[in-house]
Amino acid sequence: MDCKFMPSICSYCGTGCGVLFEVIDGKIVNTLPMKTHPVNEGKLCIKGWNLHEHVNSYLRLKQPLIKAFGRFIKVDWDEAIQLAADRFREIVETYGPDAIGILVSAKITNEENYLAQKFARAVIGTNNVDHCARL
Amino acid sequence: MKDTIKRWLEDGIVDLFLGYKMVMGHPLPHCFVKEKIEEVDELIVGIARYSLEKIATHITALKPDIKIGMLARDCNQRALSVLYIWNQLNPEQVRTANVNCCPSNLKEHGDCSYLEPETLGIFKQQVGVNNTHHPQDLEGYDQPERLSRWMYEFQKCIKCYGCRNICPVCFCQECSLEHPELIESGALPPEVPIFHLVRAVHMAGRCIDCGLCEDACPVDIPLRLLYSKVNEIVVNLFDYETGSSADQSPFSMLGDKVTLEPKPLQINPAETANPSIALQEKN
Repeated sequence: MDCKFMPSICSYCGTGCGVLFEVIDGKIVNTLPMKTHPVNEGKLCIKGWNLHEHVNSYLRLKQPLIKAFGRFIKVDWDEAIQLAADRFREIVETYGPDAIGILVSAKITNEENYLAQKFARAVIGTNNVDHCARL
Repeated sequence: MKDTIKRWLEDGIVDLFLGYKMVMGHPLPHCFVKEKIEEVDELIVGIARYSLEKIATHITALKPDIKIGMLARDCNQRALSVLYIWNQLNPEQVRTANVNCCPSNLKEHGDCSYLEPETLGIFKQQVGVNNTHHPQDLEGYDQPERLSRWMYEFQKCIKCYGCRNICPVCFCQECSLEHPELIESGALPPEVPIFHLVRAVHMAGRCIDCGLCEDACPVDIPLRLLYSKVNEIVVNLFDYETGSSADQSPFSMLGDKVTLEPKPLQINPAETANPSIALQEKN
């Protein structure tokens, strides 16, 4: 019997509520709000309360899919990233870098957001960067 | 207490012990086991209160034979006794280490997260219900005002289901609050007041007045007050003190036989005809 309680941060929005996962025998069975967390003070919204369900969902994608011949085919990460890179290069060469825009998210960290805009500006060469929270 | 718990684990009286430990500056629930017995030295009581008995039900759902020890405040004790009554836990498999309690109608001051009375905002004072009131305090408002105050509280609801999710005595597989034919899905606020009243009715004979629901409510609806009113009715009608009575609750699952008799009706002596006696005579 292995029973652990893992503190974490809710991944649904940018608020950053503290959650506590109940992990029994390696499986997340429940999500609780962290009572002493300064952001949410023991409260959560409906999405936070159900985090364990999307972790355990059988619909969850666990590896990349490439659409070929009208259907999705499971591939490994290297192949998927290579394909994305090749297609991006193709678009940049044909239509110019401004044909690409990058949308980042409140759900990822500041550092990842920084990397994403760096990727847009330095690698692709466009200023088309926007954010899901800029409504 | 730590020595006792070590002994329980070593002697196999319990297979695991649910308590609290400081993790990254937060008092979090922790599962102490025999293999890591030195961790018991880090056991704390902690100001934060989690529903350890609900965690215990999750564990026993997967391992029915496991023996569980846990820290128990008064509210945990009451919750455990309700869970025993409803066959969610087996009293022979649970052992508690009792610790000091939090404020409730019985105790004015304690040392956990619930809930020294907070200052009340002016708007809520004018149109809402004071969370620290008792049911009889609300009798001061006339009925339309009471309704409008409760409706103000209910319409704030964001339907997070936090009150149900955190509740130590909510264990139903299928919840009426999620039933699309009873409660319209996808609407915010939920159908008020029926959403809250359905839950309130289901709390009759179950609610152990721990206050976790109110603690978890993002919009501060005075749920504890609402459910204590419901339980007041249960006491008056059936003489059933939820959490301290060891009998089956007067409200049983559909099809189960009701075990408790209603208390004899208190009829004003001026009224000569006692309806229950009159009924018997007729028969």
